[in-house]
Amino acid sequence: MNDVMEPPVQTFLRVAEVWVPEGDRLIHKAGDYGSMEGFASASVRESFAKGEGLPGTAWAEGRPVVLKSFDGSYFKRTQAAHDAGLTSAVAIPIFAGKVLKAVLVVLCGGDATHKGAIEIWKDQGDVLMLDDGYYGEAKDFEWVSQHTHFMYGQGLPGAVWAANMPILMRDLGQGYAFVRADSAGKAGLKTGLGLPIPMPDDKSMVLTLLSSPGTPIAHRFEIWDARAEAVGASKKAVLIDGICAKEGPLWAQQNPPVDPPTVGAWQGPVGQVLGSGLPHVHSDATGLPAGYSTMVGLPVYRETELAYVVAWYL
Amino acid sequence: MEKLVVIGAGMASGRLLEHLFDAAPEKFEVTLFNAEPRGNYNRIMLSPVLSGEKTYEEIVTHDDAWYAQHKVTTRFGERVSGIDRARKVVTSPNGDVPYDKLIIATGSDPFIIPFPGHDLPGVVAYRDLEDTNAMVKASSVRGAHAVVIGGGLLGLEAAAGLRLRGMEVTVLHNTGHLMDRQLDETAGYLLQKDLERRGIKVITKATTKTIAGDGKVEKVTFEDGSEIPADIVVMAVGIRPSCSLGTEAGLEMGRAIKVDAQMRSSDPDILCVGECLEFDGNLFGLVAPLYDQAKVAAKTLLGEDDAFKMRELSTKLKVTGCDLFSAGDFADGPNREDIVFRDPKRGVYKRLVIEDDRLVGAVMYGDTADANWFFGLIKDGTDIEEMRETLIYGPAFQGGGGATADPLAAVAALPPEAEICGCNGVCKGDILKSIAGGATTLDDVKAQTKASASCGTCTGLVEQVLAVTLGDGFAMPTEKPVCNCTDLTHEDVRRLIKSQELKSQPAVWQNLAWKTPNGCPTCRPAINYYLLADWPLEYQDDGQSRFVNERNHANIQKDGTYSVMPRMWGGMTTPDELIAVAQAAKKYDAAVKVTGGMRIDLLGIKKEDLPAIWADLNAAGMVSGHAYTKGLRTVKTCVGSDWCRFGTQDSTGLGIKLEKRLWGSWTPHKVKLGVSGCPRNCAEATCKDIGIICVDSGYQIGVGGAAGMDVKEVERLVDVATEEEVIEWVVAFMQMYRENAKYLDRAYKWLNKVGLDWVKEVLADPAERQALVARFDISQSVYQKDPWAERAVPSEAVKFQPLADLTQEAAQ
Repeated sequence: MNDVMEPPVQTFLRVAEVWVPEGDRLIHKAGDYGSMEGFASASVRESFAKGEGLPGTAWAEGRPVVLKSFDGSYFKRTQAAHDAGLTSAVAIPIFAGKVLKAVLVVLCGGDATHKGAIEIWKDQGDVLMLDDGYYGEAKDFEWVSQHTHFMYGQGLPGAVWAANMPILMRDLGQGYAFVRADSAGKAGLKTGLGLPIPMPDDKSMVLTLLSSPGTPIAHRFEIWDARAEAVGASKKAVLIDGICAKEGPLWAQQNPPVDPPTVGAWQGPVGQVLGSGLPHVHSDATGLPAGYSTMVGLPVYRETELAYVVAWYL
Repeated sequence: MEKLVVIGAGMASGRLLEHLFDAAPEKFEVTLFNAEPRGNYNRIMLSPVLSGEKTYEEIVTHDDAWYAQHKVTTRFGERVSGIDRARKVVTSPNGDVPYDKLIIATGSDPFIIPFPGHDLPGVVAYRDLEDTNAMVKASSVRGAHAVVIGGGLLGLEAAAGLRLRGMEVTVLHNTGHLMDRQLDETAGYLLQKDLERRGIKVITKATTKTIAGDGKVEKVTFEDGSEIPADIVVMAVGIRPSCSLGTEAGLEMGRAIKVDAQMRSSDPDILCVGECLEFDGNLFGLVAPLYDQAKVAAKTLLGEDDAFKMRELSTKLKVTGCDLFSAGDFADGPNREDIVFRDPKRGVYKRLVIEDDRLVGAVMYGDTADANWFFGLIKDGTDIEEMRETLIYGPAFQGGGGATADPLAAVAALPPEAEICGCNGVCKGDILKSIAGGATTLDDVKAQTKASASCGTCTGLVEQVLAVTLGDGFAMPTEKPVCNCTDLTHEDVRRLIKSQELKSQPAVWQNLAWKTPNGCPTCRPAINYYLLADWPLEYQDDGQSRFVNERNHANIQKDGTYSVMPRMWGGMTTPDELIAVAQAAKKYDAAVKVTGGMRIDLLGIKKEDLPAIWADLNAAGMVSGHAYTKGLRTVKTCVGSDWCRFGTQDSTGLGIKLEKRLWGSWTPHKVKLGVSGCPRNCAEATCKDIGIICVDSGYQIGVGGAAGMDVKEVERLVDVATEEEVIEWVVAFMQMYRENAKYLDRAYKWLNKVGLDWVKEVLADPAERQALVARFDISQSVYQKDPWAERAVPSEAVKFQPLADLTQEAAQ
């Protein structure tokens, strides 16, 4: 928890934006750009055909795409990104069954203290191998990650794959599966959020966001369960896990949980994700927990049903 | 201020202190002892700490600041040595502490099974932070193996946590399914599948013998001689109250410290909370009643009235992604009725147990959305008669009723886009289009839409759509389902057991959407047979799924006695065997009958004498004749070329070879063989299930004969030249019959259905024949054993003894 107690100088993810399909193109739906007005105005004018630019590529390939450098790539807003100090990006397509609901793009900057990780793990039959990842300056950890694998049920990626649900881990440094544990500890990566990313070909990848104290991904993480098996037929979600730098643990202290926090569709920022089934980027403090000014909410689908919502706050 | 001493800083005493300080912050001066070197933390959340999903700091409920705020004197890491009730002091190595009121909250100790090696370094219980840290440390070695003994709540949480930490984990559980105290067989099966998906190996009915190692734990060995490596062994087999302080202080004891409903021990100044107490004969292990006790004890201390009451408990497993719920009592009972809902595709299983129009138990796996509602019905004892038909669908369906009560009405009400066949994504609308285009049968719809063409569990639903749409124009298929537990036919079930690789009864019940918890007397023998025939190595024969004759390995007679018939290979016997048979007949007062199958039947044997007569006959080298089984009975032969002037081949020798190859195998129905040495057919081979007629040029193999309710001559399968070919063809035919026929279909009935031509076509391929023979031999490696010898040993023989001597008359 200490890793997110102090206000950061810089956060790991600097921009989050949502692109949604309209006709045969992806159009801009929402974004949090902070003070990067130039990049924001370049973005809201943009749209992407399937296979075009970063969002279009994620759509066409039906899988998350990592772009570690913009120069010479298919990235369409390279100059604006350079001007804003952005150096890399990850695009995460959200599919409900075979239907693309949206593409979430997160962009990162680059400086010597910029440590964190966004990883994509792929099922290789009997193990999960790293498909791609962005690590900022956590180069040793990147190398180790490229040379390791996870069995089902092992480590954060294996646990997410086995449980087929988002999982929040607090203790990456101490026990994050052998080789990575030591390296993750050195990189200061203590907190990790893992979530399954279903692909239109019925396969599933695992996305992990690993947070370091110097450049955290967020000060608050939440996982909401929206499955009918858990909450019944009405469209709502219950908070099943979370950590917050200000409020501490967000999970129910009773077992079984007594009156866990619940939101309905369209009720507050998390309810927007539930209601629309789309990622939601919330850029002002209204409706957010006290002390927070931005939120990114991401739907996690099982086949065509919205099953979970994960949210991170700054 | 009164002096309050609390022994044990666990969840119950922590909650008690909270209540006290809320209600009367200045009333007590509190001293808190704890053997662990720390204050109160949420012990039941140790599992997520073990897995790394939570940190220890997150589960601390009372930190140093809290104790300081409430002026609690903490004596952590200090074990209380005694209670001096006369002086009203608690004694401890670091100094005595006087009390006005004393709370004993010493909790429980983990139970350790005293296997040889249980005290080796590396064997840990799972109770506190030290145990958790020991496990975390063990998991830091690459490729390390963990063995968890105990497949209950705590053991499984430990297993999942250790697996998440990266270990190779095996769970050993001594009964047939996991969490057997909270779950029924099907829910246990689904849980096991879920855990196996995480890479956790589960061994049920585990017979652990020792924990072994040189200076530290290295392996766990089993009774059968096998072993598995272990760098750490976690013993999670239960707890026992930690109550020695109460015993030594002279408090009234039962299995723990006895308390009244105000939580007072036999000494009114000493109260208890938590797992160290016994109330009304009950011990406690789950947290909910502990909190109730804490509340009552606080009120007692404050001089207020309250009384502890027992209440229904529910269970939740803290393994991320496993949704299960269990509450109440779900054991079978004469006045109990089950309502079962299964959705194989989503891995959902729900079972409600009803007694006297009240819900008394509920087990759910995969869908626990309505768990609290069901739990409320159990706790409140609500009369559910009015909603019985729709109860399983949960609260959302109450009030409307109707549609779900009548399956056809429910199907009629489905919108066109409702999915009927989940496997192939076929909606009701697709089926309606197919019917509009002329489909009138299930096969038509299957061919046109693929609905019910894969797993087949939607077959009933597709038929209902046909019935709703066509009305009288649709005739329900003539092939009946296995029984009322399912809409599937025997053939469907056989196909699905193979295609879905279902290898246990719970797997069949769940994946084929059985409507009952675990089958009925009609389907269980059939399913048991299909499973053992298709998966001889993986499936374990279930004696409880057999008819009484097969369970007792003898035919019960009209007077309740049994018949015993030793095997006489090919009808041949010896003087020594005959002497043994005669002696056994005299010893057990048996009637002696020579049978039509060329054997000797000893009739009138009492059940309790069966093991002894079997042992006597075994001693003379004889084995069971299986006269009671759905399996190979007898091989009738004539004397053949050795003795008969007309004999063309050694029919007796061939018969003996066949019998020695085939005996012991289970088949859909009984199988009788005959081998005649010439076409005069003295062995009556032409009316057997398999009959061989020897001729000058070789052997004529006929199949599908009968001489019972139906009389039928065999049909020619093939003519071959050598004995080896006869044996190969017969074994291959037998295996084909075993793998394909409906349970209780004799061979001729099966052949009528599938056609002899198909059988001939398959068996004509040498590779197919050899594959069938190989599979038969694998099965025989398991099942060709004498059931008499297995049951004549004392440990088994006792099962044949009567439970009570009902022949004695009551004294006047």
